[in-house]
Amino acid sequence: MTTTAPAPPEAGPAAPGPVRRVLTGLRRNKLALTGALILLALLAFCFLGPLLHPTDQIHTDLTRANRAPGAGHLLGTTDLGYDLLGRLMYGGRTSLEVGLAAGLLATLLGTVYGAVAGYFGGWLDAVMMRVTDAALAIPALFLLVVVATLVTPSKPVLILVIASVAWLSPARLLRGEALALRSRDYVHAMRLMGGGTGRAVFRHILPNALGTVVVNATFQVADAILYVAYLSFLGLSLPPPAVDWGSLLSAGITYTQVGHWWLIFPPGLAIVLVVAAFNFLGDGLRDAFDVRLDTGRGSHR
Amino acid sequence: MGPHRTRTPAPGKRLGAEGRAGRLVAAVLLGAAALVGCGPPGNVVTELGPTGGVPVEGGTATMALPPASTPNWIFPIGAPGYLASYNSAIQDLLFLRLYLPEKKGDALTLDSPRGLAEKPRYGDGNRTVSITLKKGYRWSDGRPVTTRDVKFWFDLIKANRQEWAGYSPKLMPDDVTAFKILDDRTFRLRLDRAYNPAWFTANELQDFVALPVHAWNPHHEDPRRAFARLMRHARQFSAFATDPLWKTVDGPWKIAKWTTAGQVELIPNTHYSGPDKPHLDRVVLKPFTTADSEFNVLRAGGVDYGYLPPSVMAQSAKFRAMGYRIDPWEGWAITYLVLNYHHPTAGPLLRQTYLRQALQHLIDQKTISRVIWHGSAAPTLGPVPAGLLATDPYPYDPQRAKALLADHGWAARDGVLRCVRPGRGAGACGAGIEDGQELRLSLLSQSGSTETSNTMQVLKSEFDTAGIALDVRQQPLNTVLGTTVPCRTADPVCSAWQLGFFGTQGSWYFPPDPSGEKIFASNAPSNMGSWADRRTDELIRATEYSDDPAALRAYGREVARRLPVLWTPNPAYQVSAIRNDLRGVDQNPTLSLAPQDWYYVKKGGVGR
Repeated sequence: MTTTAPAPPEAGPAAPGPVRRVLTGLRRNKLALTGALILLALLAFCFLGPLLHPTDQIHTDLTRANRAPGAGHLLGTTDLGYDLLGRLMYGGRTSLEVGLAAGLLATLLGTVYGAVAGYFGGWLDAVMMRVTDAALAIPALFLLVVVATLVTPSKPVLILVIASVAWLSPARLLRGEALALRSRDYVHAMRLMGGGTGRAVFRHILPNALGTVVVNATFQVADAILYVAYLSFLGLSLPPPAVDWGSLLSAGITYTQVGHWWLIFPPGLAIVLVVAAFNFLGDGLRDAFDVRLDTGRGSHR
Repeated sequence: MGPHRTRTPAPGKRLGAEGRAGRLVAAVLLGAAALVGCGPPGNVVTELGPTGGVPVEGGTATMALPPASTPNWIFPIGAPGYLASYNSAIQDLLFLRLYLPEKKGDALTLDSPRGLAEKPRYGDGNRTVSITLKKGYRWSDGRPVTTRDVKFWFDLIKANRQEWAGYSPKLMPDDVTAFKILDDRTFRLRLDRAYNPAWFTANELQDFVALPVHAWNPHHEDPRRAFARLMRHARQFSAFATDPLWKTVDGPWKIAKWTTAGQVELIPNTHYSGPDKPHLDRVVLKPFTTADSEFNVLRAGGVDYGYLPPSVMAQSAKFRAMGYRIDPWEGWAITYLVLNYHHPTAGPLLRQTYLRQALQHLIDQKTISRVIWHGSAAPTLGPVPAGLLATDPYPYDPQRAKALLADHGWAARDGVLRCVRPGRGAGACGAGIEDGQELRLSLLSQSGSTETSNTMQVLKSEFDTAGIALDVRQQPLNTVLGTTVPCRTADPVCSAWQLGFFGTQGSWYFPPDPSGEKIFASNAPSNMGSWADRRTDELIRATEYSDDPAALRAYGREVARRLPVLWTPNPAYQVSAIRNDLRGVDQNPTLSLAPQDWYYVKKGGVGR
């Protein structure tokens, strides 16, 4: 994914602030708006839903296992007798919490790493980037499976494990941004006036790469949610009775042959929706940050 | 024999297997007489599975091997790591054993007509046993099978016991002090003490096999050198079908093909002199990397004898319509949660009989077998296969469990029971349990099976309802097997596990006599939780040494009550799907095969 950093602040009283410009851009982008709405709906479903539809998601009840959707259980029950609608709500919490935290942590780590490598350049950049290249050469899923096998999964562990493989892509992206930004005049001017490295990286390079970072973060979150699903699907999820959408889907697949569709489609749909929502949002943000596409102001660079 | 750590079971083994299981459905017992006139020639010698129809001689049957199972050992003396059931099942078709287990009702007997020897005769107060080989058996090169062939096997294992995976100290060959050849067909063993004949025949004599000494040791090398040479051949996996050494057989089949990918093809040994001559032209044992790949091939009609995931049991009608019969294949096994009596904190809890009783009362084996295993598992009632026990001493009864705990000084606070009456007296929590200690346990269970994972979730839920906190950790099977080992309290590994489960395909597969000398006797090699109980040891010794047939029943009843482990549903080895027109399939609980009894009936089969 390529993004373009916003130009340095322009002079002129008519120019709106960057936040406002992004919000305006988002409002005009229907896909991004749809993404944001889906996301809001899913958040409400997962975090407010249990208030309207309280269910016992701790204790199993084999007497009502594998019931098809109907009265009492709108989406049916699982093979352990859990109400599936309630289970989707609880599962979504895990998926969203871990996905958001892991995606943001990966973005943070990658951003700082890439900015430092790009700003300093030279041998330090070469060493740091070879490290990321080497890490990228190892399939992420393989690493995740190995680590998740060695440690007992918990939410913090999942977040750290996923972030530890996901930071590589933002690192490379930000390194490219930093390479370009460090030769800008305002950075040179700051250095001539006696500004230090920290100021250059944290006050000039990173804020100017913010658009790239924010857009990338949305994709990172989407990827992290998928990673949670992958791991759960492979049986490396949180110990029961904790649940997430991936493990719900994995459990449902067992019953493909017996036609228990309600165990498969709802969690599958939820994963597709949340990943699509973050991707729509990311695309919208990218367009909003990209001043070259800012047709509303009529100024093409 | 030491603990079994391969992916499929061998008798007398702790199991490690992901995969599918099913409950035993008693084989349809139709004897050969029922087939006269409409069955195969009157040489059918054993209890068969579904039989009948107009048989057709010839044809090829393809059987699916368990997932990720590659037959890799042909030499009947198994090296460590090569004891898997499919290896020994194939070996038994090539090299006849003296005694083979056969299911009769709920018990196993050793008087299979397939065996090479007549019934053993015990003498001198059960200190000697005389064995006579049956008449007329010949090797495929025409030489007769003699007692020298059996002596050759015995000399090999005696001189190389450490290299034999079936070796356990004090058992075969240590318990035989002399092997005397009386003539070409009869030999006598002198034993180191008096043994229970039934136990000795079932668990010791069943190892005996005749090996072609004239072909395998023509230059009369000493047993160590001969063994080393044979092992070199046995490790040449790619040459199993071509090495002349393996072509001298006395069983009903010989090898036509053995690929390094694990596909084995058998063709009839035309010189076979036993009663059960093969009907089929060829039997193909086909390997699969996963259960899913096998299932897809089965649905496409690519195997004649395969297996289904338990979750598909509900759809068995669909498979019947496709021309298969569904027959769960139950192993001669029991399944349980092992308890680590030496764990620093959980040990004192688990040593309390009332606590183990309460935990057992919380395991709803019947419902778990029916709902989670879809009927393909059956409750384990004690230390012997369930069919041998009449009653369940601890049926599912959460109220009884709660009462037991309350009566012994446990009270709930914040949803978890805590000891409020510490001490040793009546009504107290018991020795080693501190005031205010929480009733919290952790369970290390194998991953990879939906059914096992769901069973553990149900246990956690049930325990939680009674106020017992159970943390379930799931790890791959090999990690669980490597962790749940006998230990001393001070060992670091002893703190690594409290309760353990490795029974997705059954926890322990018995030799024909389901005695407990390897799993529940003090310091037994596979007594993983270090259960040590004088009464249990006495009962086990009685099954080994006394010739009282009631000894095994007494052992089963009493140890079922003592709860050295927690009994859990026993899944079958696999839920088999067998083509309707393939008949004569008997699913032996010791997981042996007898494809010489298989035959097709008219409408299909020929030419496949």
